[in-house]
Formats: sequence, C-alpha cells, structure tokens
Amino acid sequence: MRIELDRPRCEGHGLCEEAAPTLMHLDDDGELVIDVPEVDGADLDAAKAAVRVCPVAALRLAAA
Amino acid sequence: MTMRRIVVVGNGIAGLTACDSLRSAGFDGELTVVGAEPHHPYSRPALSKALLHGDDALQAHQLPEPTHDATELLGVSATGLDPDARLVRLDEGGELPYDGLVIASGSRARRLSSGQGGVGQGAGGPGAGGPQRDGFPRELTLRTIEDAVLLKERVAARPSVIVIGGGPLGMEVASGCLHMGCEVTLVSDVKPLSRQLGGHLADIFTSAAVRRGLRVVGGGQARLVDHGTGTRVVLAEGTELHADLVVTAVGDEPNIEWLAGSDLLTDGALRVDSRGRVRPEIVAAGDVAFFPTLRGVQRVPLWTSAIDQAKVAAVGLLQGDAAPEFNFQPYFWTEGFGVSLKAVGFMPVAGEPDFCEPGTGNDSLLLRWDNVVGSGTAAAVNYRIPVPKLRRLADEGPAALRPAAPARAEPARA
Repeated sequence: MRIELDRPRCEGHGLCEEAAPTLMHLDDDGELVIDVPEVDGADLDAAKAAVRVCPVAALRLAAA
Repeated sequence: MTMRRIVVVGNGIAGLTACDSLRSAGFDGELTVVGAEPHHPYSRPALSKALLHGDDALQAHQLPEPTHDATELLGVSATGLDPDARLVRLDEGGELPYDGLVIASGSRARRLSSGQGGVGQGAGGPGAGGPQRDGFPRELTLRTIEDAVLLKERVAARPSVIVIGGGPLGMEVASGCLHMGCEVTLVSDVKPLSRQLGGHLADIFTSAAVRRGLRVVGGGQARLVDHGTGTRVVLAEGTELHADLVVTAVGDEPNIEWLAGSDLLTDGALRVDSRGRVRPEIVAAGDVAFFPTLRGVQRVPLWTSAIDQAKVAAVGLLQGDAAPEFNFQPYFWTEGFGVSLKAVGFMPVAGEPDFCEPGTGNDSLLLRWDNVVGSGTAAAVNYRIPVPKLRRLADEGPAALRPAAPARAEPARA
C-alpha cells in the first residue's frame, strides 16, 4: 500500500507522526514529509493508525 | 480471566481507536462494536472547521474504512448494562455477552430547548425542542455529520444567525456563518473563549472576530421562544434578539443513561482510574469518561483526548495493572476569523505569556506560559510549527526552540 498526502488539507497537527514516527515526520516548517511511502507488514499497521488519527483526513492509503 | 469476547459501545474516534488498539495489543478474539450513528466513524472536529467553512463537497470529515475486523452494529444503541451477568442490552432487543467491555458512548449536544435531547447515545434524537412552523427545528446544534449537513444547507441561504455559546464550537460556527455571508450575533455570558483559553488568547480571537463583523452580545441564561418565521432569544436581563436561525453551542452531556442502575456511576458520572478502568473487565474512554489529570479528575471532550484515552484503556483492559498509566498531555486546536491556534498543555492559561516570539506572517505568534502545576503551555497562533516541537516548547521552555544551544540531552525513553 502507498501512503498518499492531500497537502492542501494538512494542517500540521502531527498526530500521524506520533502514530507512525518511522514512516513520516513534520519538518521544521511544520510540513509533513512521508519518509516511507510504500508500506507493508508491520509498517502497514502503523500507517493505518496514522491515517486514521488525522482530524482533517489528509492521509489516505491507496493500492501501491 | 481470558478475554475472548470484547464489546465496544460507541463508534466514534474513541471506539474506533479502542478497537484498533485492542488488535495492535494482540487481542485476536471476537470484537463487536455498537454504534448509535448509522455510519463509520468520522472526524468531528472537521465539521465545524473545514466542512462549515469550505465551499467544496462534504469530504473533510471522512476517515478511511476501519480495518479492525470487528462485527459492527451500526445504527444500534446500547440501552442497558448488567455488569454481573456481563451483558449489554441493545435497543433492537438483543443482548451482547462480553468478557471485556469498552464504554465509549460519547456525549451529545446540550440543548436550551425543553426536552434536552434524546436519551441514550443520541445521534439526532427527538430533542430538537419542537419544530418551527416551516418544519425546521428551531434550535440547531452541531455534533453529528447530519447536524453539519443541515446547518450548511440552512446557512447557504444567508439567514441572519444567532449563535449561543462563546466556547470554541460556538466561535467556529459563528466564523463559518460569517464566512458564508450571514449576519451573525454571538451570545456569550463571558468574553468568548476566555473560559477555555484564558483572557490573552481569547482577546486575539475576539478582536479578529469583531473586525470581521461578528456582533458579540453578553448575557447568560438565554431562552428560546418561537416567533412566527424566526426564533426569539430572550436573555436573562430581558433583552430580546431575533434571527432567522439560532444555533446553540452550550456544551455537551455524556451519554450515560444506559448505565443507570449498573452501579458504575459515581455521583452521576462515569469515572475511570489512571489505566482507563471502571472495573477490571470494564474500561471507558472518550467524551463519556471522567479521568485523572494533573488538574484533577475531569472530562476532556476533545479529539486527541479521546484517542489517547482509548489507547490507554485498550491496554488497561487486556493487561490490567501491568498496563502503562495515562499521562495526559493536552493538545487543542481551533480556527476561525482568520486565526488558527494550536496549543499544547493545560488551558486556560492565566495572564500574559512568559514567552512571546513573533513569526513571519501577519499576526503570527509563538507563545508560552509557565504553569504552576505540570509543564508549561505552548501556543502557536497563525504560526507553522511541528506539533512535536510545540510540545517540547511546552515541556522544556524556549531552550527547546534552539537546537544549537548547549544540548539539553533528549531524555531516554522509559
């Protein structure tokens, strides 16, 4: 699966980073960087958790 | 005892997170989630923010489909609990046996009209205080996606609007209505947002709101009176206000009626311990639960609070005393009238900030208050900053903003 970001929607709350710190982080300007866009196995669970905590639904998981 | 069957009552973000967290923690038994709303969980914060302010389709609230593989009973309410027999009773007549129970039945909008909303996990419910002659409920609230859709539809005709309630929800609704071109009056018994945020931050929002044309009227104890084509709002001192549309945002009430007679309530409240437990086999999380914080036992009906509580409660249910205790670190955000606030730490904050750094944009500020109890509170006003960094600012003070400064070593994770 692939993590997709709807950047205009992202407000930089960083809840996704807290859920999946190995997959994504907010840079110094508060912009989200997806470090590992393609995920499977254990990463997939973390990615799902990250996608679901986003209060503005800016993240999606799509078939790779 | 072995948990083979877990029932989660409530399918908002707390129920969803509880289901996910139970699975992540290794629970592979039978999981059933009971949700009064007829659809999957969605983002409630988005309803009064992106959704109400946006011009596009209603999407800002949509979360991805759940993947926790629970049996979902949607549009079904729990109506009773027998904790000795370990049974949840449902409004459709059935009963669900459980070994472990997660109570995440949430809360509903408090209403000014008589009737006080539906009983149970009220989504919608009969409590709209009686319809107006044109068939619309005379008092709109904003809690569910259905509320949001109705409000958005009605606001599109640019009615005059009275918003009652000067908390974050009332202010967000007022901002959304102004944005859509309505004439908006906000009724609040204190300066808007001062109770939730403190005077300093409240001033920033209120001045921006007034600059954008919001009329703010003081006065508590508002009453609603039907009045032909509109609704009259009568304030305590007798002042009368008229508008085409009245929206109230006067707080929420936890959905605990279904727990009456279960012995789980203390003084009418559902209280949990530091691991989210009411009893060893019953945990609670989200807007329904009172939990221990550094500022006492309280209910914190906010998005991240619900998520963090649910994570703790899920592990508390599976692991008991071996589970980690909840270390509540408040995170809050609101936006409206062109002002965006993100804040980490307990609020309201008293007095002027102890640290203030302007950002690059208009009205852009990074603020910090020292707190007597717990760490500080950091607030970013129209200021882009990674929230983890904002958290460090709250915890460690301004030194956290300067990575080059003599290293304050990152504490090792316990």
